[in-house]
Amino acid sequence: MESLRDIRQNIKAIKSTQQIMQTMKMISSARIRKAQQAMDNARPFATKMLEMVADLKQEVLAMPLPQDEKESWASRFLLNKTADPHKIGLVVITGDKGLAGSFNAVVLRAAVAFLKKNQDKEVFVFCIGKKGRDFISRFRKKNIQIVYSSVGIFPKVNYAHAELLGEAILKEYFERHLSCVTLIYNDFKSMGVQRLVEVNMLPFSALPAVQAKKDNTEFLFDPGVKEIFNILVPRLMKANMYRILLESQAANLAATMNAMDAASKNAGELVESLGVKLNKVRQAGITNEILDIVNGAEALNN
Amino acid sequence: MAKTFTLNLVTPEKQLLDNLPVESVVLPALSGEMGVLAGHIPMVVQLELGSLRYKTANGKEEEFAVMGGFAEILHETVEVFAEGADLAGEIDEEEEKQKIKRAKESLSRKDADIDFELAELEIKQALARMKVKKHHLG
Repeated sequence: MESLRDIRQNIKAIKSTQQIMQTMKMISSARIRKAQQAMDNARPFATKMLEMVADLKQEVLAMPLPQDEKESWASRFLLNKTADPHKIGLVVITGDKGLAGSFNAVVLRAAVAFLKKNQDKEVFVFCIGKKGRDFISRFRKKNIQIVYSSVGIFPKVNYAHAELLGEAILKEYFERHLSCVTLIYNDFKSMGVQRLVEVNMLPFSALPAVQAKKDNTEFLFDPGVKEIFNILVPRLMKANMYRILLESQAANLAATMNAMDAASKNAGELVESLGVKLNKVRQAGITNEILDIVNGAEALNN
Repeated sequence: MAKTFTLNLVTPEKQLLDNLPVESVVLPALSGEMGVLAGHIPMVVQLELGSLRYKTANGKEEEFAVMGGFAEILHETVEVFAEGADLAGEIDEEEEKQKIKRAKESLSRKDADIDFELAELEIKQALARMKVKKHHLG
């Protein structure tokens, strides 16, 4: 049987943990509004950019270019017929910390499934978030290689992070002739729901089709279509990465909030049941003492 | 009244104009400033640091300092994708001067591992903003 002191200590410990959890919840909920706003602000740029590339796609592919230029990177970005089918890229976006329910676990599970499915291929991994990096780096397999990692960017994601990541992805994609780049992250659906997303980001044709705003209109380009595309593609990439990082950040905060809320509720229940136990033990102690006294008195009387 | 079309201005951080009906737009294209009216031929232009001006359907004129990017011109709408954009009226010259000063200071400190390109870009952007501001006033 536990002593009264043990139980009291236990209750105290749980209460202080609960306090920490409540604080964490409040921090998350304070940050989430800002994160959500940043996300909403970034959405139009990324989606409009996709629409624009969809508009231009036909045009660029139909461009009269010399044969070697046809295999240039603009067409590789769009269709990518010349890539090495045994090399692929994977971008894994997790949080830096745990304490967010299944937020990281869901992503990592999907990543493991992806790696299993592609055992016969060389996989180049881009890790965002400490959890993902630590997890992937524990794989000691020849075909898995971390080429880029970035930790500690949450919860203060800004465009510069997206630029670095976008550049790294494009560089590996073109230099290593990756056949596709897949992205696994948590999408922010609502405060209560995060949705796991696994999407092919490159080549462009692998992206879910976007409705082009116009059809059959020819575009003029200033300066030239090649120059435009040269700056448009990296920018599209970065805008998209920015949006995704922000989504992930908001989702992470929401998950932390929910997890901490549930945890502090559980702690409350625990404290309550320990309180009941404490009272019982105390009562049992008092009963024992009374028995002792009564017995002692009886003995004296006899 | 002149025919109108819609103008969108977005930056990675924010959507600044959302389907605003306008009469005319002047874009800071790479090859010089370029005016756009309704029914313009579809076109994609690269933009440089400079001023974006437009006249709304009810005759109001506004000006933004844009930090490069590009624009997609369609018959009925113009989409401007800018790296950054500030409303001319909201640019604070003092602040820009401070920014230039700071960037120049960090450029003159050769020892530290400063990002020269970034500092230079910052100066360029601040100058562009100030230019737009002056033009806007004058």
